[in-house]
Amino acid sequence: MTFPETFEDFKNSFSYGARSDLNFKFLKHLPPEEAADFFQELLWLLGDFLDDGQSDRLAAALTRWQSRVYSRPTSWEYDHGPFAPLERPLEETTLALLTSSGHYVAGDDPRPFGIEGMSQAQAEARIGDFIKGEPTLSNIPVETPAENLRVRHGGYDVRAAQRDPNTVFPLGPLRALAAQGRIRLHSKAYSFVGATAQTPLLNKHAPRWASELKEAGVQAVLLVPV
Amino acid sequence: MSVGHIARIFEAAGLPTVIVAALPFRGRLEPMAPPRLLVTAHPMGRVFGAPGDSHRQRRVVEAALGLLEEARRNPTVREMAGS
Repeated sequence: MTFPETFEDFKNSFSYGARSDLNFKFLKHLPPEEAADFFQELLWLLGDFLDDGQSDRLAAALTRWQSRVYSRPTSWEYDHGPFAPLERPLEETTLALLTSSGHYVAGDDPRPFGIEGMSQAQAEARIGDFIKGEPTLSNIPVETPAENLRVRHGGYDVRAAQRDPNTVFPLGPLRALAAQGRIRLHSKAYSFVGATAQTPLLNKHAPRWASELKEAGVQAVLLVPV
Repeated sequence: MSVGHIARIFEAAGLPTVIVAALPFRGRLEPMAPPRLLVTAHPMGRVFGAPGDSHRQRRVVEAALGLLEEARRNPTVREMAGS
């Protein structure tokens, strides 16, 4: 960082820059006057938080500001979509969890770009390579204890997922519902890093994953984008 | 976008899906015409709520399963209120 720094450079530095913070990388895509409004609101809500200890309004404000940027349309739009009906009652349906959160089991590193033990910081630094690369689907036995789960994803703040994987990879509640007979939980869950090239995902990987899951007896899928 | 594409491909292959997404992604996912979409009022990276809030996590998963059971056409979108 060099000072004096422009406000433009300051707000942009949260997006993979000197102040990289993936919760706030959206600031790069806000015009300066809106980014200024964001900081003013954030500080005001922090003042409220000091007094009442309620984080809900802070979380709601962050969600609203993130939505303002990420809700802008992308080039991927479709008029219609396919719909596969559920063929049997949920209680008789084998359900699998598949997320783009970047989870894997300790000792089974998907080794992006051939690197074993890539850190979260390294993944953030290589986000451009991930977006151009092809995905690897990690298989995760559903009985895996939370302490044996690992997460690495250069596109979002993984701290919540590290503290509690159920924030994005809800194996805990799914196991509990399966134990009550609400669903049949497939023996494996699946995860990959969602920041990936879309064309090979569309043409190669997702069709193969669909075939593999169906062959394994999966009858419905809970999908979580992160 | 990745999960929007996966949903479309899985459904076309005859595999029913339900997507649970945080509110900031709604504007990207809805134009992809996903079959069943549950939107939660949480920020990115905390789709099922805050760490340790097992009650909330459970409620979101139950809502997703309800949507999977009840949706009859594409698209069916539901939004969950905040905590």
